[in-house]
Amino acid sequence: MPHQEPLTVVAKVDPTRLASLAHVMDAMRHDPAHNDVLPFGALPDCHFGRVLFLPESEDLQGRAIAPQLLMLSDCDGPVGPHLEALVDRAQGGIDRLFGNCEDFPKLNGQGASRAQRLDFLRKKSVHVKASYVHRPGRSVEQIRREAQLRDALETFVDAHGLTNLAPLEARKQLRAHVKSTPALSWALEPAPGVDLGYRIRNALDAATLPLGLIAFGPVVLPAALVLLILIRLQELRDPAPHIRPTPEHVRELAALEDFVAQSGYTAGGLLKPGWVRRATVATLLPVIGWGTRHLFSSDSLAGVTSIHFARWIPLDQGRRVVFVSNYDGSVESYNNDFIDLVSWGLNLIFSNGYQYPKTQWLVQGGATREQEFKDYLRRHQIPTPVWYSAYPQLTAPNVVRNAKLRAGLHGYMSESEARRWLKLL
Amino acid sequence: MAEIALRLFGGENAIENAIGNVISTKLAEKRALSHALTGDKLVRETGVSPSALPIDVEDVQGLIFRGYGTLHAACYVLLQLGDAAEARAWLAQLWPEIARGVPAAEQSAVHVAFTYAGLRALGLPAAALDGFSRSFSDGMIDEHRSRFLGDTQRSAPEHWSWGGPNQPAAHAVLMLFAKDEAALTQLQTSMRQAWLAGGITELTTLQAAPLRATEHFGFADGISQPAIEGYHPAPSDLHLVKSGEFLLGYPNEYGEYTERPLLDAALDPKALLPLDVEGSAQRDLGRNGSYLVFRQLRQDVPAFRRALEERTCNPDGTPNLAARDALAARMVGRWQSGASLVVAQYGDDASKAKQNEFRYHDEDPEGLKCPIGAHVRRANPRDALPPGPGSERSLAVNHKHRLIRRGRSYGEPLPEGVTDDQDRGLYFIAVNADISRQFEFIQHSWLVDPRFNSLSNEADPLLSAQPSNAFSVPHEPVRARYTGLPRFVTVAGGAYFFMPGIRALRFLAELTP
Repeated sequence: MPHQEPLTVVAKVDPTRLASLAHVMDAMRHDPAHNDVLPFGALPDCHFGRVLFLPESEDLQGRAIAPQLLMLSDCDGPVGPHLEALVDRAQGGIDRLFGNCEDFPKLNGQGASRAQRLDFLRKKSVHVKASYVHRPGRSVEQIRREAQLRDALETFVDAHGLTNLAPLEARKQLRAHVKSTPALSWALEPAPGVDLGYRIRNALDAATLPLGLIAFGPVVLPAALVLLILIRLQELRDPAPHIRPTPEHVRELAALEDFVAQSGYTAGGLLKPGWVRRATVATLLPVIGWGTRHLFSSDSLAGVTSIHFARWIPLDQGRRVVFVSNYDGSVESYNNDFIDLVSWGLNLIFSNGYQYPKTQWLVQGGATREQEFKDYLRRHQIPTPVWYSAYPQLTAPNVVRNAKLRAGLHGYMSESEARRWLKLL
Repeated sequence: MAEIALRLFGGENAIENAIGNVISTKLAEKRALSHALTGDKLVRETGVSPSALPIDVEDVQGLIFRGYGTLHAACYVLLQLGDAAEARAWLAQLWPEIARGVPAAEQSAVHVAFTYAGLRALGLPAAALDGFSRSFSDGMIDEHRSRFLGDTQRSAPEHWSWGGPNQPAAHAVLMLFAKDEAALTQLQTSMRQAWLAGGITELTTLQAAPLRATEHFGFADGISQPAIEGYHPAPSDLHLVKSGEFLLGYPNEYGEYTERPLLDAALDPKALLPLDVEGSAQRDLGRNGSYLVFRQLRQDVPAFRRALEERTCNPDGTPNLAARDALAARMVGRWQSGASLVVAQYGDDASKAKQNEFRYHDEDPEGLKCPIGAHVRRANPRDALPPGPGSERSLAVNHKHRLIRRGRSYGEPLPEGVTDDQDRGLYFIAVNADISRQFEFIQHSWLVDPRFNSLSNEADPLLSAQPSNAFSVPHEPVRARYTGLPRFVTVAGGAYFFMPGIRALRFLAELTP
């Protein structure tokens, strides 16, 4: 079974075609799964997808930042075949969407060729160094089937009761039901997990950071210390005004939230001026990427269990960073998790953002200034009307419990293990 | 050098704030310093714990501290203000009558709170209005909020009998409490004369039922209340919550001051309002005030009994009332007497009705005693949720989502075996300093969300906002599950109110536009 990879396409929008782009995105927002531009729902390997527009703006020096179009998906990797499938499915939809961007092949009344479309999207694809997957190896198909398995088992228990049975006997009956139901028999086999090649590469990758530190530690660590002191000196002067988001902005965001179990989160902003912050982010993103692959790769991002996928995307030569995630529940509860569980982790990257609440030593303070932090995030949140989920009714903990339910159908279990397993129903 | 070190290590705000607060006497100086610091920082800098900050009890409306268990009669009058000057004249007469934290009201009590529209109608300038929280200024009935709170279908605001989009806007709620109905009527009469003289319209009067031992589904209610640190004594830290969670202008559970309306001194020329305790030199319109969440929850008692009887009847189809009540208790999470299922697993035990020091994860991690989806376990999960169920960290998160409940029932109780279509239910009234993090979070993420705590398809069994709702009761070897439960509780009205402190009331009464 494949591991999961993020597809990140970033393209500059032709400033003369903004209205045309808005028109296409409007056609997509009504049904991100089945619209006729880019039907994410027709891609069986796509967990989450979104298309978002970043309007023209300027940086802190007053230099213009061009309007940009981002197309993002989280797919059962590798990303190459996913991109091809996407182009084959969307066909002319690619032209309608990206035809509004610079560098897209000129169309003389006819569509671009498959090769032209692929070539454009590959050129505009960005490799992100920091991304998070709730549990590598769980495919769209697995997640959906395991949800069906749960429904089937719940219904079976509702109908048959299974009361007054010993745990092992109850499990035996559930297994027998699965075995005798052709549509469920796959569930008796354990989930395949990631393939061997990935595991080998992953193990080698895990060694890079410690080995790198051993090899270059005498240089890297003092440099990091100097950087940290420079950061601390800047922290004393960095402006951190408490600015509340406008009611209009909040309304626009809220109108898109809380329809299903999850929502798509997008937030972006300018870094503080100067090379120190840019160097900090450039250094930390690969480290965070290493951390998510090797420390936080089993159903929890440093204690936060409500995120399916996330990534940090540096834009505009490192002047801006956009954070993207697919999370469960409300924005309020998501922000509370940030503050209560992983404020240090949020501060690591976000505190390099302009006007972020005051921090100390990069990780202290910041997010723990609750109201300032919530207002900062809300102000920097970007409305994401074109957002797709392959399993919109499942929270990340639901997915985990369903996987455990399936896993328990296979192999030997002691009485107490069976007892605990049955509690998953 | 020491100063540089202090600045590097994060003391800079404290120093700056403290400098802004130097006052002549030594005592005042010390108080200003401790007020300028927040939470953890406070302890670090001064060794003074935030709980040592005295609550200005005299300036707080007494309802926040007490529910008036000896004042059996109550009503809530929804008012619409007319002319601003006349309304302020009414308030100028009213505010000295408002019951304060001390002395505790014994014969009767009057309280008042305002909606955002009400504060505007009094003539509060935009600069002051802007400082209130977004939830309060948006109000309870905006479209996103209705979806989020589960106020949909029959509970949608367009069906409400007050507070909805089709009704005149409520500006204020006057809350009257008295020993008995006769005294309440008398109080109402004198209050009515005053508001009529102030050009104020009575939209409706919500008459509470005389205090009884149980609410309409038959359960003792309002047992688990947070203890306000610095005011209520508490046997442990299980229910002990920072005052800033219920009063504006005090440190909350984050050691921060919740957002509140701070005014430039020019807007308060008579200096009626307290100074911002954070040392900004602004005047604090919020201090000693709080927000009230007021919702009329209609309870369909016949449907509740019928649905439970159908699912617990004897093999011959006759109702099994004991089994019905046991299922009801599992849905509530307490027995009818109020005893928790965690402390009285097998049956009701009135002697345990007041035992409220239990924790869920400690005593019942799998919900075998009290189901994970039971109403009270959802509304206040105590130590049951991540991070680290059973840990102090879990409890610390829980402290950030507590409410003080001051609601009362309305309507006649329905005798057993009888069916009628009378209106009865609960006037749900909750006090909190941060509507978004407290009431709205609890309502959405803990009660309405069918995936609460990894459950699959289970909204709160009492409020059951989802038509496909299920309720499961953990058992050995497998759970029992009840499906197709109808909605027993519908929302019939509601609004967010701001309940100002006494000085803030006087400030509002003496506004000079």
